[in-house]
Amino acid sequence: MHAALWISKTGLSAEDDKLNSISHNLANVSTIGYKRDRPVFQDLIYQIKKQPGGQSSQDTVLPTGLQQGTGVRTVATQKIFTTGNLQVTDQPLDLAINGRGFFQVLMPDGSLGYTRDGQFQLDSTGQVVTSSGYVLQPAITVPTTASTITIGSDGVVSVLDAATGTSSQSGQLQVSDFANPAGLQSMGENLYRETVASGSATSSTPGINGAGGVLQGTLENSNVNVVEELVNMIATQRAYEMNSKVISTADQMMQFVTQNL
Amino acid sequence: MDKLLFTSMTGASRAMQSQAMDANNLANVDTIGFKGDLQRATAFAVQGDVFPTRVMTQVEGVGSDFSKGALMTTDRDLDVAIQGDGWLVVQDANGNEAFTRSGELLIDASGMMRTRDNLPVVGNAGPVSLPPYEQLEIGIDGVVSVRALGQGPESLSEVNRLKLVNPDIKQLAKGADGLFRRRDGLVETADASVHIIKGALENSNVNAVACMMQVLSSARQFELNVQMMSKAEEMDRSSAQLLQLN
Repeated sequence: MHAALWISKTGLSAEDDKLNSISHNLANVSTIGYKRDRPVFQDLIYQIKKQPGGQSSQDTVLPTGLQQGTGVRTVATQKIFTTGNLQVTDQPLDLAINGRGFFQVLMPDGSLGYTRDGQFQLDSTGQVVTSSGYVLQPAITVPTTASTITIGSDGVVSVLDAATGTSSQSGQLQVSDFANPAGLQSMGENLYRETVASGSATSSTPGINGAGGVLQGTLENSNVNVVEELVNMIATQRAYEMNSKVISTADQMMQFVTQNL
Repeated sequence: MDKLLFTSMTGASRAMQSQAMDANNLANVDTIGFKGDLQRATAFAVQGDVFPTRVMTQVEGVGSDFSKGALMTTDRDLDVAIQGDGWLVVQDANGNEAFTRSGELLIDASGMMRTRDNLPVVGNAGPVSLPPYEQLEIGIDGVVSVRALGQGPESLSEVNRLKLVNPDIKQLAKGADGLFRRRDGLVETADASVHIIKGALENSNVNAVACMMQVLSSARQFELNVQMMSKAEEMDRSSAQLLQLN
């Protein structure tokens, strides 16, 4: 009926997506290990109604053509893997990765999940688990009689036994790295899953070969920048309003035709 | 029947078409690196054997608005914006070079640097491909250097240099995929004077207010033309009445 109706509709849905991701980011402003999303927009294909450079006669060509765009689409939401601020908590099982890498956890279905959320806890058997109860990989079991737990920057976990007063090693953490972390699939619960786009995980000792070191008693905050999100929200709202104004204008034009002809 | 009806019709449909183009610009008001489309209307007289009163109108695209969009800082390593004039070069679906100003780059699983539409970014030494790295730096002149995994700061090495070009904008045309190309199809040579800004993106250059005004003014023109059509109908009706027998 009127091309502008459909074109502006694509604008509305894109701005809708953007507002969704802004509100998702703002909602996760204090989620440990959260990485903000950014929607990526792209102009849709152009319809060439008149080819520039087409022959207007045997000896002359059209200097300009007519290409009509068909709107916009959201091609992706991109995770922005900048490091969040570090927060010192002094809890022995609060861990942050200083640099590249992810903690690996065993999912209930047997696959591996990856996270930068380092709020670990002990379960009833003394295993180190995430807040959802997923076991950290490689599994580390802390003796029930342990009084203090120390985790070095290379991931070595040593515990002091309260009963005997001796110190012993309970294992060593590993971190996984990806060629393209932005290609990881978000699964919720602060976890990511490996995909073809991210490349396969390379597991290494923290602090070695470019993998980040482990910081004990520290958490990595969300990397959402509240001010930036609010500015984006204002811009998105206005863009939304303008696109809906085009729709209502186009609608009025159609109404005018039906009333006057 | 009076041909006024048809003349007004071209006016009304021009208003609709121009509104569709403005709606497209407005829909892309948030698309990184987008360049708005410009348009103009031309008149062409229809010559007949009577008094020449019939002038039709048609919309023509006149290319793109090459003004700069606002810069937004994002602090992401792989976001680049071109400072002043110039373009990034990407390889399009057919393997030819095309230009874009949208610098939301990413590194895929095999280390290729790509744009958001998954097209490889072209450097002076072919498509940019990076080894696994710990730190990436893109210099103001487009030099891409990385510190490989597990290496110290002394081992920062240059991998490639983004191909930055600055063709004459009169030579550029937007393709159906939104990328720009030279009209004559020649390969553009790299221009060392083009500079980039790292950690920033160039927003769409669409002026939302101007676009909105255009949409509204097209709507009024449309209504005027429709009004003319209804006048034409009225005139027809009156002349029919004159000839009625009773």
